[in-house]
Amino acid sequence: MTMTSRERVLTSFAVPSEPGNERLALTRVAEAVAAADLTADQLERLKTAVAEATMNAIEHGNHNRPELDVDVTVVDTGAAIAVSIVDNGGAHEPENDGHIALPDLDLKLAGLQSPRGWGLFLIRNMVDAMDVSTDGDKHTVRLLMVTGDPATQTPDGQTPDGQAPTPEGGPDDQQV
Amino acid sequence: MTSKCETTTRSLPGCAVIELSGEVDGSAADVLSKAYDEAVVADQAPCVLLDFSAVDYINSTGIALIVSVLAKARSQGRQVVASGLSDHYRQIFAITRLSDFIQLYDDIDAAAAGVGAN
Repeated sequence: MTMTSRERVLTSFAVPSEPGNERLALTRVAEAVAAADLTADQLERLKTAVAEATMNAIEHGNHNRPELDVDVTVVDTGAAIAVSIVDNGGAHEPENDGHIALPDLDLKLAGLQSPRGWGLFLIRNMVDAMDVSTDGDKHTVRLLMVTGDPATQTPDGQTPDGQAPTPEGGPDDQQV
Repeated sequence: MTSKCETTTRSLPGCAVIELSGEVDGSAADVLSKAYDEAVVADQAPCVLLDFSAVDYINSTGIALIVSVLAKARSQGRQVVASGLSDHYRQIFAITRLSDFIQLYDDIDAAAAGVGAN
């Protein structure tokens, strides 16, 4: 990840790929951003997104193999909090239970779609921006939550002075 | 994985109550399913109240469990209502549209009054 002079790493850590460890990631990220300029609502949404992305990395990336870590880095870009969640399990294989389809509660209640499949949907709805990239076996999900007064920033986190916390790479609809 | 979700069931007029505590995630599947079955067997009420007052974490697999409970209840002709959700989880219930099917109340007393009024 390329750093600019305004960016500051708040924490960087790894968790083994064991079910439930997304809670460890959530807690440590929350501690790291405690002093950041996030509202209580933003913090709760970031925590949910981090937990879901870490759970996806554990399950779909590292396939619950505890010898593989999920690496988490939290950066204050000056305009946003950026959380990178990296698994090392190679390409993600889509689940066969409907994760690719947009979750549709009517279909789920009718038994026409699995009750599961909410993870990616929740992530996208919780943060201001998200992107996915793959480099060899490393699969990275980067979450952005804009800090400061939202009135001075555009929805994608750009500030009037052009200091944009835009993720590297573009949007990616692939399954995480 | 050991579940960190616990449940207590009890009855209110017209409503079987399942009070949840801890974490509602995938590991809560058996706990929640058993609680639902116990609640509806003990109380043939037409309504099931899920109380989340003591829940501090719900993830996407927990949402899936709630969807399953809702689907099962609807197939049995039962209404599902919920209480005690934080603002954040109310937001998630809105985003997922669960709140289109599950009436939300601030607490058990409000839910009991609301169900009784229906």
